[in-house]
Amino acid sequence: MRFWTRASAIDRSSGASTAPSDPGIARAKPALEYTVPPARITSLPPRTRPWYADVWIQMLRKKPLGTIGGVIVVVMLTAAVLADIVSPYGFAQTSLRERFIVMNGAHWLGTDQLGRDLLTRLIYGARISLYVGFGAVLIGCVLATAIGVLSAYFGGRFDLWLQRGVDAWMAFPPLLLLMSIMSLLGPTVWNITAVLGVAFGIQNSRIVRGVALSIKEYTYVEGARALGSGHLRITMGHILPNVLPTIIVVATTGLSTVILTEVSLSFLGLGVPPPYPTWGGMLSLAGLDHMYQAPWLAIWPAVALSLAVFGFNMLGDALRDLLDPRLKGG
Amino acid sequence: MKRYVLRRVALAIPTLFLVSVIVFAMMRLMPGDVATRMVEGHAYAPTLAALRKDLGLDRPVYIQYAEWISGIVLRGDFGNSYWTRQPIWDEFVRRFPVTLELAVLTIIVSVVIGVLVGIVSAVRQDTASDYIGRILAIMALSVPYFGLAVLVVVLPSIYFKWTPVWTYAPLTRDPLENLKIMVVPALVFGVTRAGPIMRIMRSSLLDVLRQEYIRTAWSKGLSERTIVLRHALKNALIPVISLIGLQMPLYIGGSVIIEAIFRLPGVGLFFFEALNKLDYPVVQSVNLIIAAMVVGLNLLIDLSYAFLDPRIRYR
Repeated sequence: MRFWTRASAIDRSSGASTAPSDPGIARAKPALEYTVPPARITSLPPRTRPWYADVWIQMLRKKPLGTIGGVIVVVMLTAAVLADIVSPYGFAQTSLRERFIVMNGAHWLGTDQLGRDLLTRLIYGARISLYVGFGAVLIGCVLATAIGVLSAYFGGRFDLWLQRGVDAWMAFPPLLLLMSIMSLLGPTVWNITAVLGVAFGIQNSRIVRGVALSIKEYTYVEGARALGSGHLRITMGHILPNVLPTIIVVATTGLSTVILTEVSLSFLGLGVPPPYPTWGGMLSLAGLDHMYQAPWLAIWPAVALSLAVFGFNMLGDALRDLLDPRLKGG
Repeated sequence: MKRYVLRRVALAIPTLFLVSVIVFAMMRLMPGDVATRMVEGHAYAPTLAALRKDLGLDRPVYIQYAEWISGIVLRGDFGNSYWTRQPIWDEFVRRFPVTLELAVLTIIVSVVIGVLVGIVSAVRQDTASDYIGRILAIMALSVPYFGLAVLVVVLPSIYFKWTPVWTYAPLTRDPLENLKIMVVPALVFGVTRAGPIMRIMRSSLLDVLRQEYIRTAWSKGLSERTIVLRHALKNALIPVISLIGLQMPLYIGGSVIIEAIFRLPGVGLFFFEALNKLDYPVVQSVNLIIAAMVVGLNLLIDLSYAFLDPRIRYR
């Protein structure tokens, strides 16, 4: 349906510069095409450490931006998990005598219209964003793997119809679809996580399917079948482990998008309801009147969100380059 | 070429059918009852049963679907809003120009910024300007557009006593006033969308600049300007166009938030207001119309590759 169908549609016979290795052709394909070969870690030193240790060492050595991103993510994660311990106040603790403080020793990032400490609310907001982000990505990866591997493995009419369904889903602007579903289901943490997870899963099943399609053709899969392995053994034992690096890449690069979507839903009032603080809720139009009095109410959540997105983007990009060089440049 | 277009259009039909089933099923099978709210909160009808009968909600779901879809296919009738009883299509047509203008301006802003910075970054690779360009791209990727929009609404009004224009003027009546209103939202949205374009423009131009035909162009003694702008750019633009195509749903989805912040009476705001009132027909039909547009647009973009790179043939 989309760009990737064209790999076969390029007329290789015309012109001298259309040899298969021509970067012009390579460019005409999308970064994530159907038949990405299974990811392998190449050009690493001899195996003295497990591969995941190698990835982190390579990251520290070669990817300064990825390292910064990783540090931001780790700091945010720690703060979110330990929110009850590290945050100086309760997130709903009001103090009417301390309204609209810009910054002082007691309130590092100031207070809002009810005298609630902004730093505390940002930390608890990070908790929601990260819980929803990681939860949705986890659900999404399971779903993407299930759809992608099954669709590729069984092929045929099953694949054709399942993929038309995926096409239909992808025709919607994600935000419109998610808004519609959220307004009907009602805003709770679980609903948001599940809905974002399903959306993420369906969208990324395409990538998993592409990888699984090429793995299916490898001789070891054929060998397993010749030895009498059933569908379950082949998919779980042979295809799944080889799809895993791609799934890790999909997950890490997708985290920032999922978090941004969660924040946009909260921004529109379709996210986790108050009084629980969310970044989107803190930025949202509902508080606009107070922001004219206290611009830091808008600035700090925006800064926190940008930092988080930056961190996840950089970490995801670096991990992608290290884990699966073939997906680079998307 | 003709066969390819026909096949693509034929493939779009089952997709659109599934799209319609998804929106319909979503709106009807999930909890949240508009009739209850209309009677209890707003006294639209004496009893719940009467209102349900009036709106056609008492009939089986598949009949409701058949009516909705046959109205669209046979008569081009997208139904009426539950609350205002006005035809949805008329309202959509009235508001669409606003959203379209916003989208077009946003794309212009993001492409102009993204392509220009991308070209400079690629041509002057590993110089200071390249690094500045890449840092800008990362910043644009990180700052969420709605966060930036809120800051643009709030901060200048505090420090410079400047506020965006809130009263909307249609393009046809007062073009200059209209542009004044649209330029800030388009800039905010466009700047944040320029990040990915910058990155892909840079990497694709770097790729093209290393090709044989570019070396030939250099050895013919052409100027750098001619080589980059006339020889390399056209080929390097293909990934950029496909990126814009893939991101089209994001432009439309984002317009909901941008329209809500800057109070532009576009389709996004229409959708958002309908959603808050659980106005099923409006949400359904707007979703369907927009999804159909996305499908059509993707087709157009696929066809535009043939113009940009004659080596791409369709079968």
